[in-house]
Amino acid sequence: MRRMGAHTMGTTSKPPDGVESSPNRDRSGDGEPAIAVENLSKEYGSGDEAVRAVDGVDFEVEPGTAVGLLGPNGAGKTTTIKSLLSLIVPTSGQVRVDDIDVHDEPGVAYRRMGATLEGARNIYWRLTVKENMQFFSALAGNDPREMGDRHDELVTQFGLEGKADTVVRELSRGQKQKVSLACTMARDADVVFFDEPTLGLDVESSLDLRSELRNLVEDEGTTVLLSSHDMDVIEDVCDRVIIMNEGHIVADDTVENLLSLFNTQVYEVSVTERLDASIRDRLESTFDADNFERLPNATRFEVSVTTDEFYELVDELRSADLSVESFDAVEPDLEEVFLKITDDEDANERDRKATERKTETVSRATNP
Amino acid sequence: MSNTRKTASAADDSTGRSDSADLSLAGGLTLLRELFIKRFRIMLRYRVNFLAQMLASYLFFAVLFFGGQAAVGSVGGNQAITETLDGVIVGWFLYTMAQSAYSSLPGNVTQESEWGTLEQLYMSPYGFGPVMVTKVVVNIFQSFLVGALMLGLILLTTQRTLAIDVLTIVPVTLLALVSVVGIGFVFAGLALVYKRVESVSQLMQFVIVGLIAAPVAGLSPLRFLPLVQGSSMLQDAMRNGVRLWEFPAFDLGILVGVAAVYSLAGYAVFLVCSRVARRRGVMGHY
Repeated sequence: MRRMGAHTMGTTSKPPDGVESSPNRDRSGDGEPAIAVENLSKEYGSGDEAVRAVDGVDFEVEPGTAVGLLGPNGAGKTTTIKSLLSLIVPTSGQVRVDDIDVHDEPGVAYRRMGATLEGARNIYWRLTVKENMQFFSALAGNDPREMGDRHDELVTQFGLEGKADTVVRELSRGQKQKVSLACTMARDADVVFFDEPTLGLDVESSLDLRSELRNLVEDEGTTVLLSSHDMDVIEDVCDRVIIMNEGHIVADDTVENLLSLFNTQVYEVSVTERLDASIRDRLESTFDADNFERLPNATRFEVSVTTDEFYELVDELRSADLSVESFDAVEPDLEEVFLKITDDEDANERDRKATERKTETVSRATNP
Repeated sequence: MSNTRKTASAADDSTGRSDSADLSLAGGLTLLRELFIKRFRIMLRYRVNFLAQMLASYLFFAVLFFGGQAAVGSVGGNQAITETLDGVIVGWFLYTMAQSAYSSLPGNVTQESEWGTLEQLYMSPYGFGPVMVTKVVVNIFQSFLVGALMLGLILLTTQRTLAIDVLTIVPVTLLALVSVVGIGFVFAGLALVYKRVESVSQLMQFVIVGLIAAPVAGLSPLRFLPLVQGSSMLQDAMRNGVRLWEFPAFDLGILVGVAAVYSLAGYAVFLVCSRVARRRGVMGHY
């Protein structure tokens, strides 16, 4: 199984060890990236109590693509997004949006970018849908009286027809989040940021919103950077995923490549015989077999194997005189990839710290 | 995937999208207009709360006035309160406006944080400072409106008559309020960093009463505090009919100077606090 190393710190968008360059990046020769983040770090507090929330993050986002930031709580996703938006002053690093330095010229950068940061919040619940769009459009430097057609278009695009003159607080949560999204788009931004855009939504509303987010990229050519805990959201919306853990990037690749990188495939195996304890133990220890199920005329279980291990599995089953009824590949999801990578990263970190402690002990012993 | 990337110059006429953000004076006036519209729409939709505030302020004055009049009358001193009645009315008129002008900005910051819209205001190409200054203009206008309404009610209730020379009252009151807005900026900045500052902020209402009542004589250092000079001049204008151009140039200079110094200093503190809030990553917290 391929393991992913920590993201290499550097001044360019360099993929981590073991990760191939994404096709999106290869298009960067056509022009400037929509978002360029260079050695971004953020430390809260000082001295012994200092907490490094983001640590040397580098990446670029191609125009008209969607990139997802994925990571567990405390990974640094929100701090990264807010630093990109100049809502947080980073300790070091540079952020450019459409080649404008966000921290040197925030006013100029805000003409190009917008954000939905808190789902259904971010808008005025006592105003109607249209009134909100008018206000946020004016806040972004547009004259709402000239933007009526665009606002009507957004209302239609987000399926809010019939609700345009409804006060937002009377809408469902899913509709509120759509209004929030529409208000961000009413800013007429090229680059938009979403922090947990589907948080708290039911499945249907979440699917609906993902579709709208994807449309922003495909139909409007908007550049999207979103963070989410929901792996399905990233898979559905994004072209590329950046996985963060403990403040730094641990993986950065296209969603497709990342899924294929995790080349362990889960198979559901059915054999016609019952399994005795010894073969079951061997399958569990060698092939991570689990979910054993005894059917009337068969036994079913799942195994996690690499391509090479698959043949070993077949040999194992044959040597145990088991007749295979079927092998069904189970589609891997990003969550498995994400958990695997962050687990590996944590294991690497533990190994590194253990090595450091060991070295320190040896050093103290030799230099008392 | 069709990557039809937008650019700032690539307007789509069919959707009415603008070529670029208009950040000129006209754009700023558009923002001001939209902030006015938003404020009054929200006020209308929270109308019960707004009316209750007005009623509470009026009742407070009525209790103070009629209660005080009854108390003084019971000991045969009715003449004393009559002499100072006009002063109390003008003081109350200024107090309601100053309290509103001062507290509205920190109140805006706390409220917008709770609504989750503060960071959206920050992300305006006009800049956070100018957006908040525009909000202050709306706040002062609202304060004037509330003050004028209150003054009308009080004059009707007390059957008193005051000199209402708009050309004098408006600039004097405006400059007096601008000085106190500077303090509002300081507390708004503290609200950005520390969030809940209402308790400290509420203490300010007693300070405002003290500033309005403070005596002005010669080169008293009190004249250099916010509101003090403005309050004295407003009393002269409304009780004695003094016109704007009849005030000594020195008094007018102090009025303008105090307004400029406090508002600019308060604004500077606010900008520093907003940077501190961004450095600590607490801009949108509440």
